[in-house]
Parts: sequence; structure tokens; C-alpha cells
Amino acid sequence: MESLSALALAVASAALGMWAMVVRRNLVWKLLGLNVASGGGILFLVALSHRTGARPPIVGLGPGPAADALPQALVLTAIVIHFATLALALALVIVLTEHRHTQDSRKLEER
Amino acid sequence: MSAALVGVLAYFALGMLGLVLARGRETAVVALVSGTISLALWAPAFPEGFVGDWPWGIAVAGDGWSLGIWGLALFLHATVLLHAWSRDSLGHSLITLLVGTCLAGSISRDLFNLYVVLEFSSLLSVILVAKEGRSAALWAALRYLILAGVGMTLYLFGLGLIYGRTGALAVSALARGGVFDTAVRVGAGLLLAGAAVKTGVFLLGLWLPQAHGQAPTEVSVLLSGLVVKLGVLTLARLAEAFPVGPALLSLGVISGVGGMLYALRETDLKILLGHSTVSQLGFMLLGLGLGAEFGALIYAVAHGLGKGLLFLSAGEAVERRGTRTISELAKGVPWPAVLGLALGAWALVGLPPLAGFTAKACLGANQPLWAKAFLLLLGVGTAAYLARLLPLFRGGTGDGRLGGVLLLSSGILALGVWGFVGNRDLYAWPVWIEAPLTAGAGFLVDLFLRTKSWPLPKLSLEYALLATLLVAVALSASFLVL
Amino acid sequence: MKLLLALGILGLVGILAVGIAGLWPRADFPDPDPVARGWRVTNAVAAIVLGLRLWDTLLEVLVYVVAMVGVRFLLVGLHWKGELPPVSETPLLRRSADLLLGPILVFALYVAASGHLGPGGGFPAGAILGSALLLLALAKGMERVSAELYEPRLESLEYLAVVLLVFLAALVLILGLRTPAAFVTANLLIALEVAIGAWAVLHRFSSARGEV
Repeated sequence: MESLSALALAVASAALGMWAMVVRRNLVWKLLGLNVASGGGILFLVALSHRTGARPPIVGLGPGPAADALPQALVLTAIVIHFATLALALALVIVLTEHRHTQDSRKLEER
Repeated sequence: MSAALVGVLAYFALGMLGLVLARGRETAVVALVSGTISLALWAPAFPEGFVGDWPWGIAVAGDGWSLGIWGLALFLHATVLLHAWSRDSLGHSLITLLVGTCLAGSISRDLFNLYVVLEFSSLLSVILVAKEGRSAALWAALRYLILAGVGMTLYLFGLGLIYGRTGALAVSALARGGVFDTAVRVGAGLLLAGAAVKTGVFLLGLWLPQAHGQAPTEVSVLLSGLVVKLGVLTLARLAEAFPVGPALLSLGVISGVGGMLYALRETDLKILLGHSTVSQLGFMLLGLGLGAEFGALIYAVAHGLGKGLLFLSAGEAVERRGTRTISELAKGVPWPAVLGLALGAWALVGLPPLAGFTAKACLGANQPLWAKAFLLLLGVGTAAYLARLLPLFRGGTGDGRLGGVLLLSSGILALGVWGFVGNRDLYAWPVWIEAPLTAGAGFLVDLFLRTKSWPLPKLSLEYALLATLLVAVALSASFLVL
Repeated sequence: MKLLLALGILGLVGILAVGIAGLWPRADFPDPDPVARGWRVTNAVAAIVLGLRLWDTLLEVLVYVVAMVGVRFLLVGLHWKGELPPVSETPLLRRSADLLLGPILVFALYVAASGHLGPGGGFPAGAILGSALLLLALAKGMERVSAELYEPRLESLEYLAVVLLVFLAALVLILGLRTPAAFVTANLLIALEVAIGAWAVLHRFSSARGEV
């Protein structure tokens, strides 16, 4: 049950990120919101791999049963993908700002 | 299995080599040849196996969907190479990687592997859409990236819930386990929403028309023809793992009608074709929802070829004439583009003997009456918005590139003829009357609608995000309640 | 719109709460220890990332390198007229960069090479190396470091690392190669690729800074 707080935190950060994405008009804020939300997704997976009294999934490290190793490996993949997405999105924002001189999503929407 | 894996690996390695050596075109040709050899070696199917090892390896299998998508991908890649040979090397390398991703996705039967594949395809598509650096394309690409990010976050939560409850990620293991309790229901709803965002279903993936419309010609062809099918494939895999038919059915209805309404009002040629893709997704999702998986697959391949041809010719026309609106383009379109647009529209409306006819016949076979009626309604809508292209057919001017158009047209014709050879039902007379009547009705509807004007809400990014969120919640809640 | 947003957010939280409540009883999972021993390593996560699910990892590396290609391509067209605003320098940063750079590099190599035995691996090592370069750039000025480290050649090296990784993946996945040496090589290649990618992106972002 000790993983419940981490799960709750994951849900909260997903909700917070989504809220920021809809409410904020600035693109950088939107990307921050996206990052917070996807961070919530990553935290969710990590929290799922934990069981009460579990040890890290490394042979011979500490007593007790090993934690689930698969979500930890999946998370490694997901983190790198989110980093790549964020880098690309920020580069797009830089180029867009250069073209349109605004980062306001509503102004960008009008052509 | 090894043959397919080697084919995919060859695509990736050659795409990367194209980046190293700055010789994207040559490596793309080698990749295409090796992909074709690999397909010939594993076709028509290979049994499910694990890449990696028990217990956590990635399940892959070659089934009908893999075969269809491999065929479509290699064919479209050949077309793009032929049509856009003179484009830059970087673009060709990225396109090689994109095609390789679709090949990898089509054999995958593991939910997390599909997640990675979907993310990779969206990153590649974004770069390819933004590559020319026009500001409208940049904005469309960023919208795509943000919405896909939201969809994939929802997908990750759904994946976590399902893995946490069942301990399985492979589609077959989930289908065998048959667990569908609270956590799995919520998870399935979120997975479905995430995959639908990536596919571009109406209300969830409102990025699609802009991104497909603003992309360069050869990229539009691949995005609408191939990458969208990767999302449909993911939805098909989800339908295999969980009983989500009714949800897919309602998504199909929404997508078909929504895309149709927007396509009827659009004045920009390529964006109209983007809305049309959203509407055509409705056919495929209806097929999946009704359990006609084979029909959905044939429809996906036929739509890939037909819409590929339409985007190829539309892009050619837009590039040659330097304008995007239909009324401006009506002053003169290169004649290969006229040929392509006419044949593509012919196929998409579903007139015999081209691919769309076969696909609609496969989809509509043995369905309940209301489903047939709805498919007919969508068909009339398709004919109505494609009737808006009629002014473009007045007569061709100037010259254009013919190669890609001819290749795709032969593919469409081949699929249509294959339908006649394999499907005796097509010789029955009602089908022959139904198709021209649909087209005629669509033409009349278009004539009628030209006199009317009705406003449609603008699909801004905020509303798209909100709609995604709400539909995801609604899908999960509906699984919980029903 | 506000009402719909509140509905959406609360609905998301509610749906996820219901889903989480339904997670128990949790599913069993196989013991990772025998799996790790089967791949002749001690870190089960490394066995999954570089063995069992190498297919995913390969795609992930491709995602990373393609995103870096995209960033480079998008930002390369931006040319700044006039001087770039300087990154502020402090003596503290310069001294600490001199002191820390060596240990950080050694540590990154250690993390990459021992990733199959304990916590670590190619991605963290690459991130550590990239941050070492960031430290160097902050201390000595971006332009000087960029001039010293010739970038286009590094880019080809990065792509080449990925091509080698694809071949390594073919060896492991199709021919069934199972040695710790394959893990060490893969980790080092990933570290090289991640570090160069991070460095190149840093370089691009910093040379596209300025007034916008």
C-alpha cells in the first residue's frame, strides 16, 4: 500500500499537466504541461513495479523478493522518448517564434 | 520470423546509413529491395514468436494485417521514390526510417512495442511535415506533436493499469487471459483513446487535416496512405485483446460524420483531402467495430492507395500552380494530376472496377441493415465532397510528372480486379446499381449544399485538447458502466 | 469551456482513481533473478533493456537520434545577425569545471561499462557525459568549446554508433548471442550516441539563443 501515495502523485501530476495545457496560451507553458503530464505517466509505471518489502531487481542486492523489473525497463524507454519529443517541440517553438513573432497559441491559430 | 525482422532491421540500418553517407536515395532503393525480398520470404504469414526471450520478450507475428501493411508500405515507398527522386537526401533517409517503422509496427503484437512504434512514427512525421519550414506547416507539426504527446500519455496510463492488473503486455496473452474487470476496463478505454488520437479519429485527433494538408507532397502521400493505417492497426490489435467493439463503432460513426461535414466546407484542396481521410477512417473503424476485420483491412489498403494517389496528384497540382484553393486551381491543373485526381476520386467513391468498389463490397458483406444504411450514407457524403473536385477536371494544362500516378493507378486497378477474381458476390447486380446511384446522389447533395451556408466551429488547439480529454474519460466511463 | 475543463480533469482523476482501486489483487510476475542469470548478468533491468526487449531499445535509440537530427535540421536555418549575448561566467564555475571534468568523465565511463552489473547503463552515462560538456560550455563559453570540438564529424560518429547498434541487435536477437561483452558494447555505444546527441542539441539551442 505504500505505493499508493506515488500513484496518487502520478495522477495528480497528469491532471495538473492537462490543466496547464488547456488553460495556458503560451506554447512553452503548454509544453511544460505536457512534460508534467507525461512525467506522471512515467511515475505511474515506476510506482506499479513496487511491492511491499521489495528490493531492487539486481541479483544479490539485499533481502526480500525482487521488485518487478519490467516496468522499470519500460520507463527507461519512455523517458528517452519524452526527452526526444520535448527537444523537438522546443526546436519547433523556436523556429515558429522566429517566423510569427508570437508564442500565443490563439494568435498562431489565426492565419 | 527472422526474415521479417531482418527486413525491418535492414530498413533501419539503411535509413541510418543514408544519414551517415548523405546518400538517402540510393540506400532507400536498397532498403526497398531488401524489404521486398524479406516480404517474399515470410509471406503470407509466420506464427507468433518472441523477439528476445521468455518471459518478457516482444511478441511478433505475421498475419493478414502485417501482410496488407507491408504490401502497402513497400508499394507507397516505391511510388514516393519514383515521384520525388529529386528531393533531398535527408528527406529520403527519414522516409526510409518512417516506412521501416510502419513495417516494425505491423508485425508487433505487444502493447508497449506499439507505443514506441507510434511515438517514433509521430516524431518522424513531425520532422517531415515541418521540413520545408513554411510557418503554416510548422504550426501544423507542433499541433501534431502536442496532441500526439497527450494521446501517448493517456496510452501510457492505460498500459500501466492493464499491466498492473494482468501482468501481460502481449495482445494474445491478454486475449487468452480474458480479464476485463475495473482496472482493465479503465485501461482499455485510455489505450483506445490514446491510439485514436494517434490515428486521427475525429474529436480526438484534430491535428490530422492540417498536418496532412500542409506537408510536402510525398510526405502527405505516406502520412495519409500509410501512417494513419498504423493507428488503425493498433486499434485492431486492441479490438483483438479486449471486447471494445461498440466503442470502436461509435468512434467510427463520429469520425465518419465529423470528417465529412468539415470536408464539405473546406476550400483548401489538400486540407479537404485531410478531412476526407478522417471521414474514411470511419469506414475502417466501423468495420473493426462490426467484427469485419478482413473488410477493414481491405478498406485500409484500398484507402491507402486511393488517398495516396489523390494526395500525390493534388500535391503536384499545388506545387506546379503555387496556390492551394480549389477555385484558384480550377484555372488549370497539369494533366497527369487531373488523371490522378479523377482516378483517385473514382476509387474512393467506390465505383467499379477500382479498389474502392472491392473494399466497400468486402466491408458491407453480411452486415446488419442499419450498418449498411450508414455505410451508404457515408458513401454519399464521400461522393458529395469529392464532387467539389469536379471543376478541376475541366482540362489539363502543362506537363507534370506521370510516373508515380501511373504506378499507384495500376495498384488501384490491380486491387479492384483481384476483388472480382476472389469475390463472386461482386457479380451480383444490386452492387452494380448501388455504386453509381451513390455517386449520383452525392453529386446532387453537393449541388444542393452549394446554395446553403452553415457555420462549423473552428478546431483550435485548446478545443482539440479538451475534446481529447473528454472523449478519453467518456470511453473509460462507458466501459465501466456498460 | 471552464465547465468542460473541470469536467474533463475531474473525470480523468476519477477514472484513474477507480482504475487504481481496481488494481488489487495485483498480478504475479516472474522472478527476475533467474532471467538475469540466464543472460549472464546481475542487473535484471539491463537484461531486459539490452536483451529481452532489445527490439524496443533499438527503436528508442532511433527515436532519440532522429529527434536530434530534427532539432539540428530545424535550427540550422536560424542565423543571428550581430553578437550573441554572452553566457555569464564566474570564476567559481571555471575552477570547478577544471576540477570536476575528469572525475565526471571517468564516472560516466564507469556507469556505462558496469551497467550490466548494477544500476547504470548507456542512457544515464550519456546524460552524465552530456552534462559534463554542458558544464564545460558554461565555464569556458559556448563558442570556444564549439570551436574546439568539431561537430559535423561527431554527428557522423553518432549515426555510425546507431548503425553498429542495429548490427549488434541483429546478432543478439536473430543469432542469439548472449555474452556480457555484448552488453558492455551496447552500453558504450548508447552512451556515445546519447552524449553526442545531447552535446549537438545543446550546441544548436545555444547558438540559436538571442532575442526572439
